[in-house]
Amino acid sequence: MNDIAIVGYAQSPSWERAELTEVQFLFPVIADAIAAANIDRRDIGFTCAGSCDYLSGQTFAFVSNLEAVGAWPPISESHVEMDGAWAMYEAWIALQHGDIDVALAFGSGKSSPGDPAHIYPLQMDPYTLTPLGADPASLAALQARALLDSGRITEREMAEVAARNRKDAIGNPHAQVSGEVDVDALLATPYVTAPMRAHDLPPYSDGACAVIMATADKAREICENPVWIRGIDHRIEIHQPGMRDLRESPSTAAAGHGAGVGDGPVDIAELSVAYTHQEKILTDALGLGDGVKINPSGGPLTANPMMATGLSRIAEAARAIQRGDAKRAVAHATSGQPLQQNLVCVLEGDLR
Amino acid sequence: MSQPCAIVGIGQTKHKKRRDDVSLPGLVREAAQRALDDAEMTWTDIDAIVLGKAPDPFEGVMMPELSMADALGAAGKPILRVHTAGSVGGSTAIVASNLIRTGRHERVLTVAYEKQAEGNAQWGLAGGRSGGMGAGGIFAPWMRSFMARTGSPSHIGPMVAVKDRRNAAKNPYAHLQMPNLTLEEVLDSPMLWDPIHWHESCPSSDGACAMVLTTEAIAATTPRPPAWVLATAMRSELGMFPGRDPVRPQAGVECAHAVFETAGITNPFEQIDVSEIYVPFSWYEPMWLEGHDLVGKGEAWKLIEAGDTNIGGKFPVNPSGGVLSSNPIGASGMLRFAEAALQVRGMAGEHQVDGATVAFGQAYGGAAQYFAMWVVGATLDAVERKRAS
Amino acid sequence: MAGANEPVEGAGAGEQPVVMMDYFMHLEYHEVVCPIVRRYAASLMEGKILGQFSPKSGLVYVPPRSYCPVSCEWLGEDNLIELEDRGVITAFTIVTPVQYYGQEETEPFAKASVLLDGPGGMLSLQDILEIPPDEVRIGMKVEAVWLPESERNTDEIGNRSWGSAAGAIVGWRPTGEPDLPAETFTDKVY
Repeated sequence: MNDIAIVGYAQSPSWERAELTEVQFLFPVIADAIAAANIDRRDIGFTCAGSCDYLSGQTFAFVSNLEAVGAWPPISESHVEMDGAWAMYEAWIALQHGDIDVALAFGSGKSSPGDPAHIYPLQMDPYTLTPLGADPASLAALQARALLDSGRITEREMAEVAARNRKDAIGNPHAQVSGEVDVDALLATPYVTAPMRAHDLPPYSDGACAVIMATADKAREICENPVWIRGIDHRIEIHQPGMRDLRESPSTAAAGHGAGVGDGPVDIAELSVAYTHQEKILTDALGLGDGVKINPSGGPLTANPMMATGLSRIAEAARAIQRGDAKRAVAHATSGQPLQQNLVCVLEGDLR
Repeated sequence: MSQPCAIVGIGQTKHKKRRDDVSLPGLVREAAQRALDDAEMTWTDIDAIVLGKAPDPFEGVMMPELSMADALGAAGKPILRVHTAGSVGGSTAIVASNLIRTGRHERVLTVAYEKQAEGNAQWGLAGGRSGGMGAGGIFAPWMRSFMARTGSPSHIGPMVAVKDRRNAAKNPYAHLQMPNLTLEEVLDSPMLWDPIHWHESCPSSDGACAMVLTTEAIAATTPRPPAWVLATAMRSELGMFPGRDPVRPQAGVECAHAVFETAGITNPFEQIDVSEIYVPFSWYEPMWLEGHDLVGKGEAWKLIEAGDTNIGGKFPVNPSGGVLSSNPIGASGMLRFAEAALQVRGMAGEHQVDGATVAFGQAYGGAAQYFAMWVVGATLDAVERKRAS
Repeated sequence: MAGANEPVEGAGAGEQPVVMMDYFMHLEYHEVVCPIVRRYAASLMEGKILGQFSPKSGLVYVPPRSYCPVSCEWLGEDNLIELEDRGVITAFTIVTPVQYYGQEETEPFAKASVLLDGPGGMLSLQDILEIPPDEVRIGMKVEAVWLPESERNTDEIGNRSWGSAAGAIVGWRPTGEPDLPAETFTDKVY
């Protein structure tokens, strides 16, 4: 496959409840990504969006988002009903084709209008699980319980993930939650969905993220510090949680292998850890050792714009590379509860 | 980097108002299994899956690739779910073809479906509110505008309806099969949105369509003749802004020009043997014939009146019966692409256009703002041979 | 599939096998009305229609949306302009309502696009009053029928274009002026 680089990106703040509409807060994110990429809007050869109608509460909700893109005169464009990370995958494939040299991918969503506990059960098997109201927190709790029982993690370690993420998020303008918290104080709080406490659960955010990619020659022409996509892969697992060993993430391992995570040293990893216990599962699946800094941005436990969370991991990893904080990074996106489908992307900078 | 992409397996369900003999996964597997059987491959042979369908609220299942992963044999594999409104079946096929053409995968299963009887599509199209226009209600003024601009006599739409329903009688999978439908019956049927009568409007169907796409090397080992993807294109435009022309959308014009140029087609009317075009309301046949520059302005109605869009005519359109006969919304675009491929494989049975070697598939969606198109050939040089002859 | 629909002996009260399961879900969405639409709703309460003008594209949007999707220009309060409440019907549909869940309409109704006079602006899906649906014509000059100020309530106006003047303007009635020829608005039909 051809070398493709990320040449620009932008994220909105992560709001608990945005005043602006999704299109309105997506609008500057796309404009800023284009500006950061040092291109003209008309240079974009293909655009792919990620969003979810049920999250927006309207059929065909994604159609309005086209207004933030600049779709006049007409453009080559597509949409996946998935996190923007998969939109980026589709755009990356389009760039491999050879007849375009710049692509835009974005993800956006407003979680605030709806209740995740009511909406996300609709993602489950409609005959056997949706009627039970199988919501993400409950399914994650089953997973956390299994992991705790296996001895691979403790509740203290889970709280430490939360505390570390919040501390790292201080100074991240895109984070919703941040601050210094004492682990013992966290552990003294009651369970929300045992064995998870409030700090083990993600916030739900309104927000958007856009990423611009270019083929090698174009990237070198327009970008001083391109972030190379060394590999990208994604896999899904069996749906029925009862048929999976929830303590492991074989799809993340397979995607990581396909993306070439193990081909070189990893400095940082931006992982879609929405529940504290999942950090252990994902780092084990990717074979990331203690030397790897996990979620220096603060991760989804501090900012979780659904449908953009995964793509934001990629943008944050690219940012870390461009800042010189890392040379080689792993970014991860997930879909389906818990951790049913996983995407892994390996990024590398030129410098350092 | 672009390698040839072959279509070696095609399957679809019997489309019906209500398939209460299969669940959602059952519906999808029926089509997928037929495609696999056609390709003489098994579920384990497939490297990646691309799923497409229209809005999730139509069935009440959010992000169905997740709950259908098991039924689609997707465990351990990459799966994508495309959603581009009515054009989704087409754009899904294009995304799948890109996975082959870029060399990313060798065998891709692509499936599109809708099980409308399990939800309420009218409610869905209305965004869940009272006073919904219905898709026909939005398009009706554009159709009347087209009639006025082109001087098309009012019986042209009904003629399209008669042709498509009669064609569908030759297609064992079609939902509505009316071999004896007459023009009078169409004109006598209730008016839904002027100018569209009941019989000029698509049905609401449960159905699925699937294709197996593969590389040139593997296509050489499959039992039946493949269809070859010669070109694909997608274009989108804003659905509503002051001054937009939704009657002849620019995205539709540009998408067609792009796909013909890539395919090497210099004279679409002469070089395309058969077209499967998304016509959910009768007047969209002449509108797309002109809207994609297949014929000149004001010429489409004459072609239709002369019977030349029939099988055996100068420019056959929708020999399968088209969307007017079967409309599982998410699948309809893929059905157009698949039927085009069946034609150049010589496998369209009773609705085969004799000697077809170049076929055009088109799907559109939203406020006639999303377009997905492909050109397929019986051979990789099918268009060149046309130009030479 | 032979036997799939055969009644199962001893299955219980029903004679037919269960083939469908009704599953009703109720999802509530509470969305903040964005600032610019709140401004628009407030102006409707005062009997004014507020639009937004994009200097780069020259286009007028109503309701205002804070951006021009054609020029990709962000628009602010200083781009707001007051629009006329008179205009011309440029397109219409007569809908025979389908009875789906939540549908309240039972009789055929007309919905029209109204191009406003003066600076312009297009309101779509508007009700035409005082004439039966089949008398609605392209080119017909119409004026807004406002609810009395004390009866106006713009609570239904949200972020989507549905109900774009609902709660303030009941609909549009013919003014009796001569029709405008279609040529005068060919590029602003929809």
